[in-house]
Amino acid sequence: MNLRRIAAVASKEWRETTRDRMFFLLAFLLPILWMVVFGYGLVLDVESIPFAVVDRDRSALSRDYLYHFFESRYFSFQGYLPSENEADVMLQSSKIRAAIIVPEKFGERLLDGQPVSIQTLIDGTFPLRTDITKGYVIAINSAFSEEQLVAYFSRRAGISRAQAEAQVRPIKLEVRYLYNEEVRSTWSIVPALVMFALMVSSPLLTALGIVREKETGSIYNIYSSTVTRIEFLAGKLLPYVLISSVNAVVLWIMATLWFGVPFKGDAPFFLLASLVFVLSSTGIGLLVSLLVRTQIAALIITIIVSMVPTILYSGLIVPVSSLSTGSQLQAHLFPGMYYTNIVRGAFLKGVGPEVLWVDVLALALYAAVLQIIGYRLFTKRPRS
Amino acid sequence: MVNCDPSIPVVRVSGFCKRYRRHVAVQGVDLTIRKGEMYGLIGPDGAGKSSLMKAIAGVLAYDGGAVEVFGVKVDSEQAAERIKHRIGFLPQGLGLNLYPELSIEENIDFFARLRLVPERDLADRKARLLAMTRLDRFRDRPMKHLSGGMKQKLGLICTLIHEPELAILDEPTTGVDPVSRRDFWAILAELLQERGMTALVSTAYMDEAARFHRLSFVSNGRVLASGTPAEIRSLVPGTVVTLLASPQIEALARLKRDFSQVETLGPLLHVFTEQQDQAEAVKRIEAGLGDIEAEQVQTDDPGLEDVFVALLVRGSPVKDTSSIPVRSSGRPQHDGLAIEARGLIRDFGSFRAVDQVSFQVKQGEIFGLLGANGAGKTTVIKMLNGILPPTAGEGWVAGADMRKAGGVIKERIGYMSQAFSLYLDLTVAENIRLFAGIYGVGRREADERLKWIVSMAGLAGYESHLTGRLPMGVRQRLALGCALVHSPHVLFLDEPTSGVDPIGRRHFWDILSRLSREQGVAILITTHYMSEAEHCDHLALMYAGRVVTGGSPGEMKRQVEQEAGHLLEVVADQPGKALVHLQRAGFHGAALFGTRIHFFCRDPVRDAECACQALASSRVTIKSVTTRPLSLEDVFVYKVMALEEQERASTSGDRV
Repeated sequence: MNLRRIAAVASKEWRETTRDRMFFLLAFLLPILWMVVFGYGLVLDVESIPFAVVDRDRSALSRDYLYHFFESRYFSFQGYLPSENEADVMLQSSKIRAAIIVPEKFGERLLDGQPVSIQTLIDGTFPLRTDITKGYVIAINSAFSEEQLVAYFSRRAGISRAQAEAQVRPIKLEVRYLYNEEVRSTWSIVPALVMFALMVSSPLLTALGIVREKETGSIYNIYSSTVTRIEFLAGKLLPYVLISSVNAVVLWIMATLWFGVPFKGDAPFFLLASLVFVLSSTGIGLLVSLLVRTQIAALIITIIVSMVPTILYSGLIVPVSSLSTGSQLQAHLFPGMYYTNIVRGAFLKGVGPEVLWVDVLALALYAAVLQIIGYRLFTKRPRS
Repeated sequence: MVNCDPSIPVVRVSGFCKRYRRHVAVQGVDLTIRKGEMYGLIGPDGAGKSSLMKAIAGVLAYDGGAVEVFGVKVDSEQAAERIKHRIGFLPQGLGLNLYPELSIEENIDFFARLRLVPERDLADRKARLLAMTRLDRFRDRPMKHLSGGMKQKLGLICTLIHEPELAILDEPTTGVDPVSRRDFWAILAELLQERGMTALVSTAYMDEAARFHRLSFVSNGRVLASGTPAEIRSLVPGTVVTLLASPQIEALARLKRDFSQVETLGPLLHVFTEQQDQAEAVKRIEAGLGDIEAEQVQTDDPGLEDVFVALLVRGSPVKDTSSIPVRSSGRPQHDGLAIEARGLIRDFGSFRAVDQVSFQVKQGEIFGLLGANGAGKTTVIKMLNGILPPTAGEGWVAGADMRKAGGVIKERIGYMSQAFSLYLDLTVAENIRLFAGIYGVGRREADERLKWIVSMAGLAGYESHLTGRLPMGVRQRLALGCALVHSPHVLFLDEPTSGVDPIGRRHFWDILSRLSREQGVAILITTHYMSEAEHCDHLALMYAGRVVTGGSPGEMKRQVEQEAGHLLEVVADQPGKALVHLQRAGFHGAALFGTRIHFFCRDPVRDAECACQALASSRVTIKSVTTRPLSLEDVFVYKVMALEEQERASTSGDRV
């Protein structure tokens, strides 16, 4: 190991990357761009569901029932419809996502003490959203039923409304949300985006940086010189690790100051874990660069290898624990998941190495294996 | 162990084989390079030169045979590492191994630090090499803004900054104009001389062969011949006869019956015969001509290119396609001007790329536009094609003003670009039909043209081959055929022959001269190969956007002879020492040309004596002093140097 040669390679690489406008944008602007685009775009909260109503009863009670929906922030009232057919048309054209049909004699039968059923049509094209919508409908419906019950009870027993309520609802459920107190999806998504932005940009930068030399032929300067394989790889990767580490810090600052996500954990630990993650993600880039010859091939393969599993299996959108067994296995094969655990843990839960050491260890192993394979695959005397 | 015994060769290659998957690139090559030699590898693209050089540099694994460098068998990565500190390798591709974002100085520093050159040595060497290459004023200029010649010199500095004992340079002169090329050879020769360095250099330019101490001709992965230029010449003894005979077409056809190497050079015919006795050779040629009278008959020793072609022909007899009669498909009506440029000017922003260019090309004439990279040749062609509007001036092509008649013009002209714009996934016939379709040629006519092109371009048997798999020479003829599919009267060819072997080039020129002579097609061609310019009827030399001189090749040579004098060649036993003494004696233009020294002189007799005296005092033995006929490259270099001199004088030197 000769430090002077490593320094020569590293400083050349640094100059090239910062002076080439394309590479500069790729290195410093792309991660920020991902963060902004996905941070605002990947909000999964279901609110303001457009719905319409077919009210065949048009009584005081039916209006009272429907007001519960009108006033909810989860629903957005689009208007009354004369019949179910119109509701179908509206649902088909996606103008509404739900329709509520109140049957004839709704109020009359309810006052008679007879059971009535309300039909709800919900657009089922997105199961996740459908489930959430269904949940809201059920919640509003049972709230109304309870109110009716309380009113009836207080009338019959001649007691006050509060007393009646205590009788009807003996157990009151109190929920306190931990870590993400306001259950805002931004809080959950943005820390994971730190992982996503790094996971996509750092292998890409590394792969393109090495393949660029192969494509132009300047790699022959390395092949034909006395620089050793490890010196070259160290010098070559050093600037990319540095750039990605800077990016990790920038993204962290963006998440806390711009998106207002609280950071409850231990900053030095988080930065150290980020460095380990950067080492493993540059390792992916290194591996790709050794297998392909052209920058365009490097670009495509890196995006496929790093972006697709990261979106699907890293816990960015769907928690790994709720994936199928096969998908869970895949999730464990990519470094994204481990770093997601670290990021969410450090941001929201405020936990440190005592909990996350397994993930850091996995990433370190990942980095070591990738870099060793890269080192073994790299040859200064290739076959073609 | 490091080997210092001078009697042991620096490089010894035996039975070398290299395959890329199933494709055999090099097969059974033997080669020995001695210390202090400048060894040349000459051959067309794809001959296997690069594979061999990379294997010697220890950067490519090979499949068979042995490569020994400095006494070390290079058969593994570990073994290769042991010789790398003694080697400098410049890969192929002008400036491609340099870093575009880094300045000249940063590039050099990177290479030096990679090689652990001590900082003090680095400063010294850098200063010396930058001064020698006249790059010192551009130290801070990013490499991406350098001209071709400057990139090439920077590449050389970077390769030699650690003072290797063996320099391996892969096609360092490809794509560089003749002046820069000559400059490059001078610098390289000086460095070799000074440091006692050994060099292995490859080139695709035949006319550079004479610059090497020893060389190998490579073709199709095999070495056809090795030795000193003189030894190789003696492999194929014979005589070259140039003569003027008219009608040229008929004379050519008759000579082709008896001689395998006949070509046209403008109005002249160039015949190679293995008959050594010159008088006998002339006699036989005259007999072959029959009742056509030969004029201006000149005999000469064969050049290396003639030898190479002869060796190639021996290896694989080429099909001669020119016996197929070429049917004239509508000879242009008017015998007047086919192309006329009148004061063409083109500005790009504040930069004037083309400045007041005027010339005329008659129907049936081959007109060569010569000039360094960036001299404005392609811009002129684009303006005459109607692709690019001129800033001022006008151009007439086939009787139409190209500023107004873009669409009409395109039916009368054919254009073949540098890159041979063919579809590689289509077969030969499909390509021709596609171009016929693009030019709106009817189906029946297209069938006829297909037959004509196949016979004219010698593509018979290749019709259903995929274009991507064709040899370069065949591909180039196909591109020419496609440019001719609509029977144009005027043909523009932009550097059509780069990367083609000498036989392919000769075949190509055969077709061109017959197109012009038999069909009256006017041809405007640009080329980097000065030896090819000899084929043209007229030449125009462009420099910095202007046409600075013109005329037939013969006229241009005579003009330079009048201005600068004759070319003297000195052969001495210690060329390096001899050069220094000659320069001291006042022959400032003297330059090393392989093992020979060339310089211009006014009075050959007096100056030859003067040179002999200068060398006699220094105990250098002179073997011969002779006058050499000028080549067009000499003309080009002389003209451009004179212009640069003028420019330097007028602007007191703020650019190279």
